[in-house]
Amino acid sequence: MDNLFLPRVARIAAVRDETPDTKTFDLVLRQGGEPRDFTFSPGQFMELSVFGVGEAPFCFASSPTRTECIQTTVRRTGVLTDAMHTLAAGDEVGVRGPCGNGFDVAAATAKDLLFIGGGIGLPPLRGLIWNVLDERDRFGKVTILYGARTPTDLVYKDELEEWARRGDVEIHVTVDRGETGWTGNVGMVPVLFDRTELKPATTLAYVCGPPIMIKFVVQELLMRGFSPDSVISTLERMMQCGVGKCNHCCIGHRYVCRDGPVFTYRQIREMTE
Amino acid sequence: MHSNAARTIGKERMREWIGRLMERAEVLAPTSARAGDIILRRISSPLEVQWGGDIPLLPPKQAVLPQTDPLVSIGRGPGGFVVEPVYDETPRVLFGLRSCDVKGIEFLTRVHEYDLADAAYLRRAAAVTSVSVACVAPCAFGFCICCDAGPFLADSFDVQLTDLGDRFLAEVGSEKGGRLLEPSADLFRTGRADEVALRHELEEAAKRAFGPETCHFASAMRRVSVGRVSAELWDEIADTCLECGACNFVCPTCYCFSVKDQARDGRWVRCRTWDSCQFRAFTLEASGHNPREAHRERVKRRFFHKVSAQYFRRDGAVGCVGCGRCVKVCLGTSDMPAVVAAIRKGEWHG
Amino acid sequence: MRRAHAIRGRRRVTGREGKAVDPVLTTCPFCPCGCGFYLLAREGRTEGVIPSASDPVSRGRLCARGWASHEAPAWGERLTEPLLRHDGRMRPVSWETALDAAAGSLAAMRRAGRTIGVLGSARATNEENYLAVRMARGALQTPHVGTCLSPAYQPLLDGLHDVTERHAGSGGVADLEGCDVIVLVEGDVAVTHPQVAGAIVRARKAGCRLVTIGAVASQMTRLATLAIAAPPGRERAVTFELAAAALATGRLDTATIVAAGETFDELRRSLAGVEVSKAVARAAGWYAQAQRAGIVVAPLVGDATDLRRLAGDVATLAAATGHLDRDGSPLLMLPARGNLRGACEVGASSAFLPGFAPLSDEKAASRLEGVWGVPPARETGLDATAMLSAARGAVIVAEDPSVVLPAGALAREALGRMECVVLLDAFATGALELATVVLPIASFAENDGTVTGLDGRLRRVRAAVGPPGMARPGWAVLGAMLGRLGPAAEYESAEGVRREIARAVPPDAAPRWRELDQVGVAPKGERNGLRRRSLGPLTPCEPVEPAPFVALWNGVFDWGRDPLVRYSPTLCRESVAQRKLFPGGFVELSKEAMERLGVRQGWPVRLKSAGGEAVAPALMRADLAAGVVVVPFALRDGLAPAMGGRSVASVAVERA
Ligand SMILES: Cc1cc2nc3c(=O)[nH]c(=O)nc-3n(C[C@H](O)[C@H](O)[C@H](O)COP(=O)(O)OP(=O)(O)OC[C@H]3O[C@@H](n4cnc5c(N)ncnc54)[C@H](O)[C@@H]3O)c2cc1C
Ligand code: SF4
Ligand code: SF4
Ligand code: FES
Repeated sequence: MDNLFLPRVARIAAVRDETPDTKTFDLVLRQGGEPRDFTFSPGQFMELSVFGVGEAPFCFASSPTRTECIQTTVRRTGVLTDAMHTLAAGDEVGVRGPCGNGFDVAAATAKDLLFIGGGIGLPPLRGLIWNVLDERDRFGKVTILYGARTPTDLVYKDELEEWARRGDVEIHVTVDRGETGWTGNVGMVPVLFDRTELKPATTLAYVCGPPIMIKFVVQELLMRGFSPDSVISTLERMMQCGVGKCNHCCIGHRYVCRDGPVFTYRQIREMTE
Repeated sequence: MHSNAARTIGKERMREWIGRLMERAEVLAPTSARAGDIILRRISSPLEVQWGGDIPLLPPKQAVLPQTDPLVSIGRGPGGFVVEPVYDETPRVLFGLRSCDVKGIEFLTRVHEYDLADAAYLRRAAAVTSVSVACVAPCAFGFCICCDAGPFLADSFDVQLTDLGDRFLAEVGSEKGGRLLEPSADLFRTGRADEVALRHELEEAAKRAFGPETCHFASAMRRVSVGRVSAELWDEIADTCLECGACNFVCPTCYCFSVKDQARDGRWVRCRTWDSCQFRAFTLEASGHNPREAHRERVKRRFFHKVSAQYFRRDGAVGCVGCGRCVKVCLGTSDMPAVVAAIRKGEWHG
Repeated sequence: MRRAHAIRGRRRVTGREGKAVDPVLTTCPFCPCGCGFYLLAREGRTEGVIPSASDPVSRGRLCARGWASHEAPAWGERLTEPLLRHDGRMRPVSWETALDAAAGSLAAMRRAGRTIGVLGSARATNEENYLAVRMARGALQTPHVGTCLSPAYQPLLDGLHDVTERHAGSGGVADLEGCDVIVLVEGDVAVTHPQVAGAIVRARKAGCRLVTIGAVASQMTRLATLAIAAPPGRERAVTFELAAAALATGRLDTATIVAAGETFDELRRSLAGVEVSKAVARAAGWYAQAQRAGIVVAPLVGDATDLRRLAGDVATLAAATGHLDRDGSPLLMLPARGNLRGACEVGASSAFLPGFAPLSDEKAASRLEGVWGVPPARETGLDATAMLSAARGAVIVAEDPSVVLPAGALAREALGRMECVVLLDAFATGALELATVVLPIASFAENDGTVTGLDGRLRRVRAAVGPPGMARPGWAVLGAMLGRLGPAAEYESAEGVRREIARAVPPDAAPRWRELDQVGVAPKGERNGLRRRSLGPLTPCEPVEPAPFVALWNGVFDWGRDPLVRYSPTLCRESVAQRKLFPGGFVELSKEAMERLGVRQGWPVRLKSAGGEAVAPALMRADLAAGVVVVPFALRDGLAPAMGGRSVASVAVERA
């Protein structure tokens, strides 16, 4: 029986600025041996702590297939995330987890995969995307649709280009408002649907982003013939423990931290609260 | 294995027994505090035990899940941060509990074992042994009979005492209970058939003494489980609730908490602290979004967790042991029996 | 340390040994309901609360704040060593050095004839407030003493005094539960005074009629039998009408009228011909006929004259209908925070000596001279806001004036201009940066003494743990400063200070300060019936110019920045979130108003008044009247220019 609340100490190996309010942290676990024995699946999350400040949930932004470090992308919005943003390479944080169910990667085998991300919703998808790309042969067509408010708010800019160059991935990026120098798409994420060919019957759609974006995207997908079972999303709720004990994250009798955060749209629709 | 055979102990020997328990463990018992309140606390003499007073306002939950509960100690070592789990495995005897409170601890232990086992809770709870006293008459606000949590217990207890006048009948309900009696076997003798019969008579009499107007969960559960309670009714109930959280804090089965770091002389202790689903901030997210912004949603949540069939299946019981504490401490008027009645009848009389 | 001026109160620190200590019976440090409960402690830290069923006020019921009151002392950022500013930087120093520096600068300023102010606090005990008064009017010979919150409360007491000749209402919170009718001049008591709200909820359940008078809807107005909408800050218009309507019902108390003689005719004349709305007439009828009827006045925004008249109206209403001092008919003025009533009573006031003795009262002055060894300064002092801008030096006990005063950031600037600011506090607050000397004192959980509830009950505060680090109880620190400032003063305990208060207040108030049991003494003297046998005319409201919008502060006190809330992980969450989301404040508008202006949720609007203007996001609030704009008091700094220093202002609102 483990102490559910005991974090492992991790050292920050590198910090990268993604946007003015978002940073990606590379974490290497110090206690408990090699990062390898920290196994997680994409879509799961960890409770990350800045000692003395507190803990909060953040999803793994890296793929379990990459074992050199764990990555997470943190947007600055409050007490803990402010503290995270003051940290630099060499500083230590606490990592507890993995928590939650994660994406069912096995079930995606041989399917076409459609990733739809909005703003800070790309990180959880990124873990899955790299996982898929590292085992590219197991999956069908891979399409990525990504939108942010402005070009400045796009995360993983280098990787977006890298993915675009690969050839085995179809990727479309859009922004709500362009800026000087922006030559790409302008408009909300749903405008990207017309740029790609959708095969609802054989495709799994993964949607992550702000609630309002999820709402519109899911509507659009259902209208275009996706079944509620093949639309997969993650839910965000206030969390304290991440292990199904504190009751902060409940929706009805479902626990987002245990039963989720990954749910099919059918499950989300059937929730009782 | 423990022996289920009932034993008796003369009341004049009780002090001796408690004294012996105190040598091996922290003994917590109902005592009379400064202003005359009965509170459960650690005793320093068997004389402090208060027999038969009011039920303490704070349940023995405090002994397994303290209001401020240290979980992890965080310090700095030469090589960086050092984190260590904090466990409290002090042997404790909770003496003089009511039946409902024993059921409450059993409930808490079940939810902390469920799914991922919570070592911090379970280790503390494992070191706790209870000695409860069966209730021979209903207490003023209690309705344990509706929750299968009293007045006498058939299971879940460690040691259950029944007051037979000049002596107590002691039943052992668990191995822990057996271990508690063992070293003091000389103070007990085997219970006689007439003593056991008297205990059963007392139980029947106690059950009969509960009036018909108690707390009928079944029909409320049907409505709550399928969401057949109108928003207007929840609104009306919410208007008589002052969001104090007392109903949660004194509830033997409530265990919501938050986790925070407390600074202590250059290090920190990560603690869990009691929280309440009735607080607006309970579900408030960093973005400002709050899925339970409306007060009605929070009241609804409390009763969904306590009396829905979904949670009944998950938690193994309704989230109420009928102790009646929320009736006493509710700053407004939306206590458990009142709300259950309102849900059943479809109208609020608060 | 010179013995005579040593700091007392270095109590044995209990519970440092890893063991739990016995629960300690004490009084809630938050609102003035004055609930009693036990504090639990372990390893020298408070860790929990046990309600007390036998407490006469709380009867086992506590609000969220009470339940979390153990948190701030254990989790908060505590002041643990005396600090002295040296070359612009704060340095830890010994008590000796800190006290010498504080007393030295104050004495020098006094000799140089500089203005010095002393602020007590609703967060401090009666003993601490009393010693602050003794320091001001005695040792420093300055009349500028008070608390930041008095200006919103003292006028209500004065209004009661106009009618009843005493600065107090009558009855207690529990009495509300037995009332047939309750008239509530509402702010938002469900939030500000939960125990009062709870009593009202239970009274409603028992069939009591509830009449609310207020500008904005609240939980209590939703529960009301009759909710009378009053324009913001104009609740007084309704109370005046109520008094007139009650007189018109003819169901008056003969004894009072006979005793009042001609003054009753004056009253009647002043109310003749007042137009009374149907709703008010109904409410007045209920009130006049009830066996037991209560009046509750929540902390209100509004100017002092209005508040004073409002209290006069309701006191007259209660007196004329025979409810004043009747058993079971409470008349309660709710102070905004914990010990505000106590602070005013012991003399933390620009206009009174301890025990509400008038400054002109020769007997009081010579009594104080006997106790203090110097005659008290007897001029009328400046109120807290004026004091801060006029004074060159200040002693501040347990307060951050910029958080509590309506002036907000301006108070900060005023403090920043001072030569010497001596700050006593248990918690780190924003005032720290402006202090010259910081003296760390015990929080309520480590302190002994008394506080006064809104019902006048004197209640004990008891130390559950020892103060952290070098911190000492406030009474001991103030005592040591008094010792240095002279004439000699020495206190062995908080009890000793209380005994001195008993000698300092007028003789009829003294017994309560002498006799104090476990849970506190209710003021007996107040039940002895109407002392004054006269009534008097009431002043009608002046008409106001109709304005397109009236803006008012939401509340008169910001719990969010009170250290006991701010440092409680459970209690701080909402206010922290609000501050984060709206650092510059926001304005709340009705749906109609938002539609009329063509703004949506979160869009900026501009408030313009004679005083100035400010821009903030607009939020929709369903329960508002069309012409009312509500501005959070807690976030007032951003919107202060538009309010022009007033708590209610006529404004124009436009899309920004
Ligand atoms: C499953 C999951 C995955 C997430 N993944 C990411 C991610 O990859 N990147 C990212 O930037 N953000 C992520 N978030 C959101 C992130 O947890 C919040 O932004 C963060 O808690 C804010 O903490 P704070 O202390 O800065 O904010 P404050 O507003 O100061 O919050 C105070 C405390 O409240 C709690 N809290 C507040 N909001 C939330 C919330 N939405 N969810 C959970 N706890 C909350 C935390 O304990 C937090 O410390 C995720 C949330 C969830 C539930
Ligand atoms: S005890 Fe009563 S008032 Fe307090 S939160 Fe519970 S239901 Fe509401
Ligand atoms: S009602 Fe007031 S005194 Fe009572 S617990 Fe709440 S804040 Fe404390
Ligand atoms: S976060 Fe605690 S139960 Fe889900």
